Amino acid sequence: MTSCSEDPAIFKENRTVFQIGDHPSWAKKVYNDSNWESRIKLIPEGQVFWSRTKIDILTAPEEFRPYGLQIDAYGEYEIFWDGVLIGKNGNPGQEAELPLEGELWLTFSIPTHLTTEGKHVMALRLSNYYFPDHVGRYELEIAEYKDLLTDLLIETSYMHVFAGAFFIASIYFLFLFLSNKKAYSTLIFSICCLFVFVLVLTVFNREYLSMHYSLHVVRLQVIHTFLLGISFLIPFYFSIQFPYPRQKLLLILYVGILLIIFLVNHHAYDFTVVSLVLSMWISSFGIVIYGAYNKVRGARLVLVTLLFPIVILLATSFVTSLYAGLGLILLGMLYLLSLRIKDQRLAYEDSLLQSTRLRLELLKKNIQPHFLMNTLTSLIDWVEEAPKKGVLFIEALAKEFDLFNQIEDQTLIPIAQEIALCRTHLEIMEYRKEINYSLEEEGIDLEQKIPPAILHTLLENGITHSLPLEDNSIKFKLIFESNSDFKCYSFLTFASTSLRQATSNREDGTGLKYIKARLTESYHSNWEFTSDSTSHGWQNTIKIYS
Amino acid sequence: MKILIVEDESRIAKRIERMTRDIFGDTLQSLKHIDNLHEALNFIKNSSLDLVLLDLNLNGDNGFDMLTTAVSESFHTIVISANKDQAITAFEYGVIDFVPKPFNRDRLEQAFNRAVTKEKTGDNKIKLLAVKKRGRIQLIPIEDLLYIKGAGPYTELFLADGTKELHDKSLEKLEQLLSYSFERIHKSYLVRMSEIKDITVESGSKYMAELKNGGLIPIGRTKYKDIKAKWL
Repeated sequence: MTSCSEDPAIFKENRTVFQIGDHPSWAKKVYNDSNWESRIKLIPEGQVFWSRTKIDILTAPEEFRPYGLQIDAYGEYEIFWDGVLIGKNGNPGQEAELPLEGELWLTFSIPTHLTTEGKHVMALRLSNYYFPDHVGRYELEIAEYKDLLTDLLIETSYMHVFAGAFFIASIYFLFLFLSNKKAYSTLIFSICCLFVFVLVLTVFNREYLSMHYSLHVVRLQVIHTFLLGISFLIPFYFSIQFPYPRQKLLLILYVGILLIIFLVNHHAYDFTVVSLVLSMWISSFGIVIYGAYNKVRGARLVLVTLLFPIVILLATSFVTSLYAGLGLILLGMLYLLSLRIKDQRLAYEDSLLQSTRLRLELLKKNIQPHFLMNTLTSLIDWVEEAPKKGVLFIEALAKEFDLFNQIEDQTLIPIAQEIALCRTHLEIMEYRKEINYSLEEEGIDLEQKIPPAILHTLLENGITHSLPLEDNSIKFKLIFESNSDFKCYSFLTFASTSLRQATSNREDGTGLKYIKARLTESYHSNWEFTSDSTSHGWQNTIKIYS
Repeated sequence: MKILIVEDESRIAKRIERMTRDIFGDTLQSLKHIDNLHEALNFIKNSSLDLVLLDLNLNGDNGFDMLTTAVSESFHTIVISANKDQAITAFEYGVIDFVPKPFNRDRLEQAFNRAVTKEKTGDNKIKLLAVKKRGRIQLIPIEDLLYIKGAGPYTELFLADGTKELHDKSLEKLEQLLSYSFERIHKSYLVRMSEIKDITVESGSKYMAELKNGGLIPIGRTKYKDIKAKWL
C-alpha cells in the first residue's frame, strides 16, 4: 500500500511465475522455470504450489546492515532466497488439517551474503486454502531490514496520533450533544470523528496486528462499512449546515447511490473505496458550493478545505490525500460547528439581555413619569379635597405596586394575578380620570399562565387612547378560548369612536413592542398578535399555538 | 382673562380649574376645559384667548403638534406636564412657563404671574418662533431673527435673509420670551443687541441704532442711556 523505502533504486522486481506441485529443487537460484505459468486462476483445496520471482539487487547492503523483505501475500508459505530458506509463515499444504497459523504481513531478514549486486531469485512454497482464486497477488518491498520495521512503526504511530485526535473530538462532541440533545449537527460530527478514528485504526494496524490472511476480507469489510458511514454523514452534515431545496429527496437518492456502490461489485475493494470517497466528495462539494453561492457564513472556508485534498491527490497518492482530506474536511466541519455554537451563545446572551430589559420595562411601568406624576397629582388633589377617598386611592396604588413586586422577576404568571393587576389599575385610573371603567371576563381558565403585564399593557393602551362613551364609561372585556391547536385571548375595548380620525397618529409602539417581546420570550415564534379598530372601539387578540 | 385648559386627566383638570378661579377671581372672564387635542385645536382657531394651559401627553397623542399651534397664537402658553424632560424643548418652542406635575397652588400662581405681568422668562431660552404661514406653521430659528417691529396687535419679524414674517403675538409678549438677547430699544422695536453696529445721534436729538446689515432703527428717547450702557 505504501512505499516505505527512502532509496528506490535498491532492487528491481521481475516477472513472477507459478507452478502447481512441490519439489525442493524449485527453490534453487538456478532452475529453468520458463514453462511456468505467469498466472493461475484457481488452485483448489489448499494444494501446494510454488512461485518464483527474479529480483535484481542494484546496490549491495552495507556491512552488518542486512536487507529485509516485506511481503504481503495470501496463503501460508515458506520463503527461499537463492535456494536458502529465510522464513516460514504457517504450514503450506496442511492448512485444512492444522489450525490457522501465520500472518498476513511479515518482514524477513535476508542474510547479507545473499544480497550481492546482481540477479537473485525469491521462491515461495505456498498453499492458499481460503482464497483459492486469489493466487499470486502480493506486495513486495526490499529495503534495509531495520528501516522496514522503523518506517512501518513511524507510519503507524503518526496515524494513531491522528486518529486519537478525532477520538478525543468524538467524545467531547458526544458530551456536548448529551448536554444539548437538540444539537444534531454536534452528534453527527461526533459520529464522523468516531468513524474516522475506527477507519484509521483498522487500516493502519499492520505493525502490531497479527492477522491471518483468511481474515483479510473481514478487515476490508469493516473498512468499507465505516467508509460508507462517513460517506453518508459528511454530506448529510453539510446538508444541515447549508440547506438546499428538496433536501430529503436528494439525500435519499444519495443513500441509494452509496448502497449500490457498497453492494455491487462487492469484492472489488479498491473500486468500492474510490467510488465511495468520490461520491462523498462530489456531493459535499455540490452542497458547499450551493452554500457559498447563497453566502452562508463559513461556506467559503469549507470549500477551500474540500479543494485542498485535490491538490494533495495530484501531489501524492490516493491514500495520503484520503486521510489528509478527511482530516481537513473534519476541521472544516469543526469550524462550522464552532460558528454555530458561537451563534447560539450570542443568541443566548441576547435572550438574557432581552429578559433583563423586559424586567426593567415592567418595573418602569409604575415609575415612568406620565403614570407616576399624574397619579401623584390626582392623589394630592384627592387628599386635599376628599381625604377619605384619597386614602382609598393610596390603597389601590399600594396594591398595584405590591402586585408588580410579586411578578417583577417572572416570565409567566397565573392569569388570575394578571387580571387582579388590571383591576387595580382600573381602580387607580378611575380616581384619576373620573371615568367609569369596567372589566368583564368570559371563559377564563384559571389554570392558565401568561407573560406578566401584557394584558395590563393592552389595558393601559385602551385607557390612554380612548374617550368615554356618552354615559362616561369605558368597558373592557377579556375573552379566553382554547382548542387543541391554540389558546386565544381577545381583549376588547368599548369606547367612543368619534375621534378616531383625529387621533390616528398613535404613539403606542413601545407598549406593543413589550407585548411582542414577552410573547417571544415565552413562546418563541408560536404566537400571533393582532390589534385592530372595530365599530365598538378596539380589539386585540393574542393567539398562542401549542 | 380668557383661559383654556387642555388636560385629559379629569381630576387634574378640575384641580387646575379650581386653582385658576381662585387665583384670578373676578378678573377671569372665561375658563374652558377640553380633554382632547382635536377639540382643543378647533377651539383655539375659533376663539380669542389670553392664556392656554397645556398638557403635552393627551390620550397618547404627541402634544408637540398642539404646542406648535399654541405658541404661534397671540396668547401665552403654559405647559403643565408630568414629563420634566420635555421642559427644555417646551421652552425652546416659546412657552412662557413649564409647570411640572405634581404642582401646588403657589407654583401655578407663579406661572400665571409670569404670563400676566411682564416678567421675563429668565434663563430658559427660546430657540424657535412658530409663525402661521398659508395655513401651515413654520418654525423660524431665533438666530435668523434680526429685529421685530410692533404693528398694532401683531408684530413683524425681520429676518437675516431680508424677508419679513408676521407673528400673532404682541411685541410685549415676544419681549418677554426673547429677553435674553433682544432689547426693546423703542416702543415699536425689539432688536437683537449683538446686531447693533453703531449708535448715532442725528439732528434734533434723534438716536439711531445702525445694524450690521446697514438698517437704521430709532432708539426711544427715554431708553437711549440704558441701551447705550448695555450696548457698550
